[in-house]
Parts: sequence; C-alpha cells; structure tokens
Amino acid sequence: MVTQVNTAGNRKGFLQWAKSRKGQQVIIIIAFMIIPLALLFTFTYLPFGEMVGYSFYKMKYVGKRTFVGWKNYASVFSRKDCFGALKLSLYYMGGSIVQLVLALYLATILSFKVKGGNIFKGFMFFPFLINGIAIGFIFKFFYTRGFVFDTVLQWCGFQLDNLPYWLKDQRINNISLVGTSVWRYFGQNMVLFIGAIMSVDAELYEAAMLDGANRYQQFRYIILPSIKTIVTLNVILSITGSLSAFEPPYVITSGANGTGTYFVVMNEIAHTQQKVGLASAMAVVLLLIIFAATILQKLFFKYAFRNAEDEDFNATKRRDKQLAKYAARKAGR
Amino acid sequence: MKLKRVLALTLAAAMTFSLTACGGGSNEGTTPAPTAVSEEDDGAEAPAPAADADEAEAEAGVTYASIKLGEDYQNLTTTIKFIHHKTDREEDGTMADLISRFNGVYPNITVETEGITDYQEDSLLRLSSGDWGDIMFIPAVDAAELPTYFVPYGTVSEMSEYINFADQWKNGDMCYGIGYMGNAQGLLYNKKVFADAGVTKLPATPDEYIAALQAIKDNTDAIPLYTNYAAGWTMGGQWDAFLGAITTGDETWLNQKFVHTAEPFKDNGDGTGAYALYKILYDATEKGLIEDDYTTTDWEGCKPMINNGEIGSMVLGSWAIAQMKAAGDHPDDIGYMPFPITVNGKQYATAGPDYCYGINVNASEENKTAAMIFVKWMVEESGWCDLEGGYPISKSADTSFVFDGVTIVNNVVALEGEEDLMNEMNAESELSFNAGGDAKVQRIVEAAATGAETFDDIMEDWTEAWNAAQEELGIGVLY
Repeated sequence: MVTQVNTAGNRKGFLQWAKSRKGQQVIIIIAFMIIPLALLFTFTYLPFGEMVGYSFYKMKYVGKRTFVGWKNYASVFSRKDCFGALKLSLYYMGGSIVQLVLALYLATILSFKVKGGNIFKGFMFFPFLINGIAIGFIFKFFYTRGFVFDTVLQWCGFQLDNLPYWLKDQRINNISLVGTSVWRYFGQNMVLFIGAIMSVDAELYEAAMLDGANRYQQFRYIILPSIKTIVTLNVILSITGSLSAFEPPYVITSGANGTGTYFVVMNEIAHTQQKVGLASAMAVVLLLIIFAATILQKLFFKYAFRNAEDEDFNATKRRDKQLAKYAARKAGR
Repeated sequence: MKLKRVLALTLAAAMTFSLTACGGGSNEGTTPAPTAVSEEDDGAEAPAPAADADEAEAEAGVTYASIKLGEDYQNLTTTIKFIHHKTDREEDGTMADLISRFNGVYPNITVETEGITDYQEDSLLRLSSGDWGDIMFIPAVDAAELPTYFVPYGTVSEMSEYINFADQWKNGDMCYGIGYMGNAQGLLYNKKVFADAGVTKLPATPDEYIAALQAIKDNTDAIPLYTNYAAGWTMGGQWDAFLGAITTGDETWLNQKFVHTAEPFKDNGDGTGAYALYKILYDATEKGLIEDDYTTTDWEGCKPMINNGEIGSMVLGSWAIAQMKAAGDHPDDIGYMPFPITVNGKQYATAGPDYCYGINVNASEENKTAAMIFVKWMVEESGWCDLEGGYPISKSADTSFVFDGVTIVNNVVALEGEEDLMNEMNAESELSFNAGGDAKVQRIVEAAATGAETFDDIMEDWTEAWNAAQEELGIGVLY
C-alpha cells in the first residue's frame, strides 16, 4: 500500500514538473537534441568506433577475423609505402602555401575598387564549383603529351621536344598534380578572404592613409590582423587537406608512377588487397597525425599573432622602453 | 487465413531475395560458372512444380543432334521467346536481322526477343518466377539445378561432335547449355601494320614478338605495343590472364600449383613461365616499343587507333575484337593471335564459352522443339558468333577466328578444400593475380621506363612477398 501511494505521488510530481515551465524547457531541449545526437552517433561515432575496432584485427570484408593486437599499427610504421606516401604530402603542403599566398594577394587587390572585379572573382571561384572527378578528367587531357598545355606553351615559343612529360616524369608529376589542386581551391580561399576583408571598417583605411600609410602597410597592420582568424582557419584546412590528398592522384594517375598519396595507398590496401584491418589502422594513424598537425598549427598561430593585434612587435618594444624611461624620469624627479 | 497469406508472401519474397543475392559479385562479360551458387537450393525448387510430370516426355523429345536444319519440322507453327543480354545487338537491328534470316528457313516459327540490361541479376529473378519464355542465356545457377529449369540437348559426348565447350553446363552426362560465342586469350594485332613492318610469320616466342615489335617501330609509324597503362585494369587484368596453362603448358599450374610454388617467378631460361610473360612488357618498355607517354593513355581512344593502323598490338581478351572492329573503317585489319609463348614446341590458349543458350523445361512440347531448332540454327547457320569475333562454338560453321596450331586448354579448378588459397595468397602477398593487381604490372612499366629497378629485382621482390605470404598463411611449398 505504502509503495503504491508513493509511486502515485511521484508520478503526480513528475507530471506537474513536466507541465511546469522548467520541465517543458528540459523536455524540449532533450527532444530537440535527441535526433541530431542520435544521427551523429549512428553515422559518425559508431562507424568510427567500429573502424578503430577493425584496426586490431586481420580481416577481409567477408570471412573470419583474427585478433592481432597492435600488429597492424606496427606494419603501418614499418612498411615503406605507408609513410613513404606521406612524403608526397610535402608537395601538397608546398602547393597549399602557394595557394594561400596567391589567394590572399588577389583577395586584397580585389577587395579594393577594381574594374571588373566581380568578373574576376567569378572566374577564379568557378573551378571550385566543378566536381573533383571532372577536374581530374579535364587535367588528364590537359597534361597529355601534345594536348592543351603543350599546345599553349608552344604558342609561347617553347619547343615540344624541350617540354617535359607532365605526368610521366617522376620528378615533376607530383607538382603537376598539386597544380590541379591549387587551381581548384585557391578561388575558394580567395572568396573566404574577401569576405573577411569586407568586414574591416573602411574608416580605418582612410585614417591610415591620412597618417601616410601605403598599401602594403595597410595590408600589414590593418587587414592581416583583422582577418587572422580566417587565415588561421584556411591554413589549417589546407595543411590537413594536403595530408589527405586523394582526388587528383586517384583520378588522373590512379596513384601509379610514384603519385600514390597516403589515401590512395590506403584505398588500394583496403579494396584491392582486402586488408581491411591494416587500412583501418592507417586511417587511425592519419587521424592522429592530423590532430597533431592541427594542434601544432594552433600553437604556432597563437605565437605568430601574439602582438599582431594592434601593431608590430618592435613598436611594442619601443613603447615599453619609452614608458620605462618616462617612469624612471618621473621617479627621479 | 490472412495470416497464412502474409506468411506465404513473406516466404516468396525471401526466396526471391535469396536468388537475387546470388547473382551479384561477378563481372559482366564473364561466364557464370555452375559452381558459383550454393545458397539458392531452398528457393529454387518452388517455382518449378510441373517439372516432374513433363520430365519423362522431355527426355523422349528431340535432341540437338537429331534435327536436320531446313528439312525437319517445316510445318511447325508457334511463337517462341528468347531473352538475352545483348541489348546493343537488339538496338542496332542485328537481332532482328538474324531472326528474319531464320524465318527465311522456318517462316512459321515466330521469334520474340527481349534484351535485358542488368542481365546477371534480372535473369535469375525471371528464372525463378518461371515467366521468361522459351530460350534464355543460362545465368549463374547450380549445376544440380539444371534439370529443373532446362532441357538437355543431348549427352556431352554426343554434343562434343558438334560444338566446343559442351561440358560447360553439364549435369550427369547431359549437356544443358550451348555457348553463343567463345572467348579466348591471346593478342590483338593489326594485320596491316604487321605486314607493312615485314612481319610475315606470327611470333610464337617472346624473342620473336619483341623482334616483331622492333620491326614495327623501325618500318612503320605505328606504336608497336599499346599498353593502356593509365586505365589500370588493362595492365593487371589482361597480363595476369596468361598465367597458367598458356605460359607453362600445365593446366593445373594456376589454380593448384601456383600457391604451393617456391619460386613461381624464376627465370626458366627458355622463354616460358610467369617470368617470360612479364619480361615481354619490361623489354618492350625498355626498348621504347610502347606508347610515348603511357601515363595519359585513353581506353576509348585506343580503339580507333588500332583500327586505323596507328597501333601494332594490344594485350586484350578476344571479347575486345568486336569493339576494335567497330571503331573505324578497317575492321578487316584487326587480327587475333595466340600469345607468343611456346612451351616444348607447342603454343597454348585458354578458351571458354560466353553465355549459353538454355531451353525452358516447362515450355510446351512444340515450343521446346521450335526452340531447339532456333538454337541449332543460331549456332550452326547464323554466323552470330563470328560476327562478334568470338572463338567458334560450332565445329562445322565458318569462322574467321584463326588460331593455327594452337592447343586449346582450360585451367582446371582448385583442389577441393583449397578453393580459397589463391584469394588469401593474393591478399597477403598484395600481388593480386587476376584480382585487380594492376599496380604490380604498372610497376614493371615504370621500372623499365625510368630504369629504377631491373626486371630481376622486381621478380625477386615478388618471390619474397609470395614466400612471406606462404609462411604467414601456413601454405606448404610443394613445387
């Protein structure tokens, strides 16, 4: 009897609470969160957890699995092709630096009044809208011996015999591939930069001009500090992106001829060789590398932009000195 | 009542799905093998309830051998239906043309055809529903199931007098399927380019082949050997196909001995074996006998090139002949020759049938006879097999497929209990023979072009990987 009364009382209390404003709030919060959280869990964290689990097994897509412990991770580090492929990422990182500098330069120019500025923006953003696979096919023909690129260079006076084989020559084929990825992404970076630069208060330029600052000084002391968040973001995205470069080598050269990046190698191991455990271990290792790279970059930018907020580093020093002098004089008096 | 109906429906659905599930997996263009299917036993019995009653009659019915085309059954009037996968032939009017020629001989037999795009899967569904007409290309069914669905043409030994590959679909000693064309492994070449280069005798050894390629380079503007490097599948998929009987003369090598061999890639010294096979590619590349920029080859583009005499030869299965012939104005220049490896004075080629005609066991007696007549006419008289550039099925029909002095062999299947060894070795060694191992063959081209590795280095590397895999999997070395 007593327990019955108790539960009845509890139920009544719960109902009351549920009807109250606070209860309604909590219920609505949970109800709204549960769907996205369930989706996030089911489609992101659950498969990821499964993959981490796979990385400890020797397994194919079908058939029996054997637990092998850390053996897959050991082979990721001992195999020549896995970490050798990461060296190719240096090409893509180099490319992403070129891409960011180019994007920042053009964004700065285009954010001032330029004739036909919008047309330029459109043209340069356009490649980003094309599907990556299509870009691969475009550039396959672009680089084919005697096709588009060679023809254009011949118009400029180059002899076909002196031109390299853009995809065959192992010294430059990775640079050719990186070129396609720069071509594709720099427009997007540029548009992001322009968006950020637009948000800078125009009066600052005016004030700077009155103080006699030239365009470079305006860029250095006004624009760059104002858009540092977006610069940091773009650099981080580009560097992690170059660690996981996949589309250009996969579509244009199918990873052959020394262009197989980490992802391409991983794809080959997972799908052709059916070593699912090893490929999963590779994916986990890459994830850790990307984490590390991101954290390092964060720290670097924290340091690099430490004093950039208002003025340059030397100016702070000078001012500190002067203040110290002033204080000393004051104390002396 | 309602519950029962729901149950029955669910059961039917489950059966259908179990059948479709079996159809997936293998590639288009490959011949479905009778061993491929095992799970469908439960589902398969249901759709053919009337089989028992008709079976006695069917066995007493006409056989392939007993029909005299153009003489027997001239008065037979009926309509038969034929379902097939050659949608391209349905569209370009070839099928209609064949049938109108058939009706010239048998005007009273009306033939309806239906081309099915996704044939591998759809045909299994149609087969299980029983509603597919009178003739179909046999999909991947178990050999044990053949009598429940199809009419036998005759005994295998009897049929072997008339056709090649009579044992492809056999149950007991009866033959249930006749191929519409055969596929053989060899080399595609341009006859005119070879003639212009002064190559009169087809090369039969690796050395002769390299010499022929050199002659093409010296005497013509054509690319002697077009590798199709960039496409990928044209490297592993096509070169690996010659492993086995063609390179060793031993039908058991590929599926039974290869995994147990200690040094499968050693130099035999007489131009045979896997070493000699891949050495051809290395030598051709090293001597500059392949295309200039192999990284930008284009599969669609190579078809008109070989047709127009810009390419001397390509390593492709005979299925490619029809495509190359259709790609330009010189179909007669396209030739097909056995692979230039001679083992103990003999050249070998592997061959097998493509899809095979099967006749519905549940059709009416008249339709069975009409279907038998139609199949015999298609095989013997239509010339369809030759039109497709296929290896001949009929032993009496005219064929342009010349494989002079070549012994046709078939790689026998793996020993019982060892069926999975090859797959496991492929995965463990990462060489993936006949299983998408394109990178390893591309590596040969890269090594030869850049001089990064010698051929022996590569072979040594492969042997190491092979031996490590044997050790890892505990596979005994017997040869």
